[in-house]
Amino acid sequence: MSKPSSFSLRGRKALAAIKDERDASIVRRQFDRLGIELSAWTPGAPAGAADVVLIDDDFLPLATADARIPEGGAVIVLLGTETPSRLKLVLDLDPASFLIKPLRSAGIYAALVMAFERLERNNDIKHQLAKMDARLRARRVVLTAVLQVMQTHGLAEPAAFALIRRTAMEQRKTIEQVAAELVAQGQLPRAAG
Amino acid sequence: MTKPSIPVGLLSSKSGPYQAMGREILKSALMAIDEVNDSPDFDFSFTAHVRDPGGVISEYHTACDDLIRNVGVDHIVGCYTSASRKQVLPIVERTERLLWYPARYEGFECSDNVMYVGASPNHNVVPLVRYVLDNLSRQIFCVGSNYVWTWETNRVTRELVTAADGRIVAERLLELGEGRVAHIVDEIVRRKPPIVFNTLVGSSSYDFIRAFQAGTAAAGLGIPMLSCSLCEPELKIVGPASAGCITSSAYFESIDLPENRAFVARWKARYGDDSSPSVDGQSAYVAVFLLARAVQRAGTSQVNEVRRAAAFYRYDSPQGPVWIDGDNNHCVLTPRLAVSNAQGQFDIFWEADAPVKPDPYLSQLDVAVRPSQDGRVPNAPHLRIVK
Repeated sequence: MSKPSSFSLRGRKALAAIKDERDASIVRRQFDRLGIELSAWTPGAPAGAADVVLIDDDFLPLATADARIPEGGAVIVLLGTETPSRLKLVLDLDPASFLIKPLRSAGIYAALVMAFERLERNNDIKHQLAKMDARLRARRVVLTAVLQVMQTHGLAEPAAFALIRRTAMEQRKTIEQVAAELVAQGQLPRAAG
Repeated sequence: MTKPSIPVGLLSSKSGPYQAMGREILKSALMAIDEVNDSPDFDFSFTAHVRDPGGVISEYHTACDDLIRNVGVDHIVGCYTSASRKQVLPIVERTERLLWYPARYEGFECSDNVMYVGASPNHNVVPLVRYVLDNLSRQIFCVGSNYVWTWETNRVTRELVTAADGRIVAERLLELGEGRVAHIVDEIVRRKPPIVFNTLVGSSSYDFIRAFQAGTAAAGLGIPMLSCSLCEPELKIVGPASAGCITSSAYFESIDLPENRAFVARWKARYGDDSSPSVDGQSAYVAVFLLARAVQRAGTSQVNEVRRAAAFYRYDSPQGPVWIDGDNNHCVLTPRLAVSNAQGQFDIFWEADAPVKPDPYLSQLDVAVRPSQDGRVPNAPHLRIVK
């Protein structure tokens, strides 16, 4: 499935916790124009899934456990003041973008695009980190497998590793997968088929 | 010959949750406008256009819009809370008007269309906490209203205290207007902190001060209380329990300057012997005079010209010499510390020997500076003991 473009916002779902009625109406009008489905939300109330969550800093701090923000969506904070104490509370929400109150229609689209792009890039980085983490953990298994091949085949370490790598290439698997199978079976896995 | 009239907007809440301070600001601004109009020093007069947003935040936007669009004012004196100022900010910026803002606030803002006449955080919080660290204790119990001014004041306090190897014993917050304070007083009596820093506002503060004094007296404790906001009209509201509070402010009724003695006399002649000017009210008075002097100097009420004429132009106000720092549009003021007494007044025991440049973003604050041994306050190099 192709990823939605950060520039095209039609069909996205948004939750908004906004105190001031004038700010709320500006967001409603602008989201209508952008084709974003908007639901009002109060921190603490149950909330469905959303692609983006707008939170007024007047709701901060979100102290109670049931007042947590819905997970998964990009967070945009509506800032009233720029004091460090307030910004510290805002940073706890890990916002992807922000808007300055009182709101104007200008700036909302840019904040949304930046938020979606930031969320996308963050997710990519998280995914890559998870992959690297798994590979790092698998290094111990690779080391065990190399030692095993060195013993059973009477090979030096570079040759043992080269053998595992060649097997992995032939079987279209990762070195880590082949190493795990070798450690489990006590011998190099045979090519399927 | 009749002087030409310049309309000035006065935006202040006579009702709502902070009506007491709103009325003080209005009383002082109106007094200043009358004095400007009666003075031969000015070849124009001001016409006051009063709007009362009733403490309703969104009404500030409406009232400001009305003043600019329908009355045609270039200058507005008013707003008390930061929330109200933030409502007015986009309109004055968009329409290129000037808001003359009298209240002290938490800083971290700087608009070309606002003249910040009240104290910046380096004028009140920093000298107070430095003094306490230097002379009283490095352990502070904080109690305040749950909103941005308390958060920011506590943050600055924590930075200074921590840098001096001290400790914030506790930080207890109450919702605005909350009057149930007994549990905090009980905790204070139980834990006996050496200092309590009170950043509660309005009725919460009055309830707390009364309960704190009663609770600590019953327990035989003498714990000093600190404040950055308590003023004379509030001492009268709280009553005898308000005595003994160490307070930081640029203005006290008891300032011993000829300009202040004359100001207080005029104030009492107008509003009664029992009344007292307050720091925020006096600041509104100063704001009107800063505006009037800048208009006179510029020869026009046009905003760009007035802003230019106001910058660095010294005025010997009731609180002493003040001027607008043209670098950041905040006022240069003299920090002072005082203790409230049983007569509803403040005994000033310490003040800067020169006005201090405003630092709204605390960019010049070096929290690592340790309290000195000789009673001087670091980072406020011109402070001296006055009593």
